[in-house]
Amino acid sequence: MANISVADQLDDAIEMMIAEPGSAPPRVDLKIGELLGIAAELRLLPDPAFRVALKVELLGASSSQTTAIAGVERKPARSDREAVLPTLFGAGSQHHPSSREGFGVSVALHAALLLGIAASGLWLVNGSELTPQVHTIFIADTVSMPRTADGRDSGGGTREKQPETKGSLPRVAREQLTPPTIVVPREQPKLAEDMTLVGPPELSQPQTSQVGNPLASILGPPSNGSGSGGGIGTGHGGGIGGGEGAYRVGGGVSAPRPIYDPDPEYSDEARQAKYQGTVMLWVVVGADGRAREIRVQQSLGMGLDEKAIQAVRGWKFAPGMKDGVPVAVQVNIEVVFRLL
Amino acid sequence: MKALEDKSLANPNDERLLVEAAREDPARFGELYENNFERVYAYLARRARDRDEAQDLTAEVFHQALAGLPRYEWRGLPFIGWLLGIAANVLADRWQRATRLQEVVTGELEQVGVEDDVERRAILYQIVDSLPADQRQVILWRFVGQKSLREMAAELGRSEGAVKQLQLRALQNLRERIS
Repeated sequence: MANISVADQLDDAIEMMIAEPGSAPPRVDLKIGELLGIAAELRLLPDPAFRVALKVELLGASSSQTTAIAGVERKPARSDREAVLPTLFGAGSQHHPSSREGFGVSVALHAALLLGIAASGLWLVNGSELTPQVHTIFIADTVSMPRTADGRDSGGGTREKQPETKGSLPRVAREQLTPPTIVVPREQPKLAEDMTLVGPPELSQPQTSQVGNPLASILGPPSNGSGSGGGIGTGHGGGIGGGEGAYRVGGGVSAPRPIYDPDPEYSDEARQAKYQGTVMLWVVVGADGRAREIRVQQSLGMGLDEKAIQAVRGWKFAPGMKDGVPVAVQVNIEVVFRLL
Repeated sequence: MKALEDKSLANPNDERLLVEAAREDPARFGELYENNFERVYAYLARRARDRDEAQDLTAEVFHQALAGLPRYEWRGLPFIGWLLGIAANVLADRWQRATRLQEVVTGELEQVGVEDDVERRAILYQIVDSLPADQRQVILWRFVGQKSLREMAAELGRSEGAVKQLQLRALQNLRERIS
């Protein structure tokens, strides 16, 4: 209860600090004062979107700078008139002899180019060329399914020939002492513990007498499935189901960070319909920094889901880390398509 | 000048290689940017009126740094010193307060040091990224997005009390990590 009171007091003080930045800090006890000091330093926390946008801007500028540097050639000094219109007035540079006919052609080509630009501008106004704006948000602790003892979603099994049998999920607990099993081993443990899955206890569902994989199609005879790791299913781990297992962010597991993340393209269909919105993807980023599994959690349609998947599949991440080792981590990636 | 603990500066040879790579290929400037963003931003944020100004100044510093990179000479001193020298000049130009900035502008841009409170703030900004994702999200929403408790609770699908607890844990985490 004391902790709740601290949280309330702290939030009130932060609220006041944000609403009236110049005002004197409210009187609070020392414990809250320390936290409020940190909060005060966070008032100018940089916007991550700004950080990313500036990097993109700089790298864009650097590529044009590279082009400019590559295009620079040391040429002899010329008069102002030659410098402005070298082809018409100058004797020509060492590489391009002057020619009045050439100047005429150049004027015609430039005029055509300007017309082209003007026409494309009109097309942009009328046709609304759409540029997708994309940002990513990694959301952890969105546990919707129980997971294994080490924090990974993964199946289990005891390498049996027969697929796992249907049943209900066992109790969900914060810690797993005994992984779920359908076929109970002959050798009984000295200190018996209920089999559990790891997750928020509030996820527990009504149970039948038979533990198993709720998604399995086979009712019997009892089998733990062909996987390994002591759970139930075709995967590897102490959970239920399939899959190789991927960590969730938090509890010592850091989130992967995109380091090469080109924007997706707009689909023609969505562009014509001036359609915008958000696609939410569930992605497993492998230890190699590549998106390994991609599922659409929130669909947008009009081909934008496919475009988002296609783009994210090509992204390169700095992988999530656990104990200093790269590991596969699940993240949610929000892909926002906007008309700019 | 406080000893710089950042991984990017732990080995000066690594930084030298990064600088040389960026001089040859400006597209490699991204790594120098990533390694030094927080310090430059923290230095400017300490002197800026608000976040918009701090971000504006930071952008100017990095653009100038990128443009001036071909003229940069490695002298064995941390690259951040050069960046902060540019930052001091950008501030001086912006506000025409050169006299007040003599404390940091010493003529030799490489000699500009990282003040302790700037370093602390830069580390704080860095470790916000290492928070558990939900705590980081609450901090960003609260201080960058300036969302209300109710808005955050609605976005996260949690009660306002739970969000307050999340905020408390995030700040406690930051306090522990920074100390």
